[in-house]
Amino acid sequence: MTARTPAPAPRRVGPITQTDIVRFAGAGGDFNPLHHDQARARAAGFEAPIAMGQFTAGLLAAWLTDWCGVENPRIFEVRFTAPLRIDDVVDLSGRVTGIDGRTIALDFAATTTTGTTVVTGRATVGPTATDP
Amino acid sequence: MEHTSLVGMTVDAVAFDVERGKVREFAIATRAGDPAHVEPAAAAARGGSDLLATATDVVVAGHHRDQQVFVAKLGMDIRRIVVGSTSSEYLRPLHVGDSVTGERTVIGDEVRTTASGSPMRLLTLETAYTDLHGNVLVIQREVLIERGTR
Repeated sequence: MTARTPAPAPRRVGPITQTDIVRFAGAGGDFNPLHHDQARARAAGFEAPIAMGQFTAGLLAAWLTDWCGVENPRIFEVRFTAPLRIDDVVDLSGRVTGIDGRTIALDFAATTTTGTTVVTGRATVGPTATDP
Repeated sequence: MEHTSLVGMTVDAVAFDVERGKVREFAIATRAGDPAHVEPAAAAARGGSDLLATATDVVVAGHHRDQQVFVAKLGMDIRRIVVGSTSSEYLRPLHVGDSVTGERTVIGDEVRTTASGSPMRLLTLETAYTDLHGNVLVIQREVLIERGTR
């Protein structure tokens, strides 16, 4: 973990489309109609289908691992605080909260450009105990 | 409210192989730009035996689970469930060619009362995804929240 920028640069994603949500549903197998069926989303109290939390978590995980390498996350925790909606533009950003030897702790969030935080989380990245 | 804890119950079990096409699907879907997900040479340069899976890859378990069945087994109403949080503990990265199994168990089951007096059930599930040699690769936990009916 040398010669790195102190935190991953922010990443903006969106506007989120129904296609983005369906693409993730197809990858992961989440076929809850709330995420693709207009009538069922309305019946659940939403104007339109919403993204699954794992989609936003996946965006954050990719943002993190593009920075630290996918071999290096040790812990990745997310809390879902609000739905991510179609047409939202979301900013992924974080800050380093601590460095202990070769391990770095970060807090991060996904926040829409209208100011709604949809996911918060924290991660630790660094080599495993068995890495050289 | 009467409540019988389900802690210790096995919810379901999945088995899947980490596949190149699926890694690519997740890389595109989550905007992962690391070439080690799609270019064998880039993965080899990082010591990978084949392409490196994205950090999201075990979500593919969704294809091997039946949402209606496990929700019924847990005695929950799918219309009132939201996923509150998830966590992943990574012990080694997944590569294309890994055969993975994961048994999901209930590790927490509690009923709380919200500030407005409505009951709310929090169920914590844990899956240890393991390779054919018995090495644990990723431990994933998810907290399902079921809102009360009043």
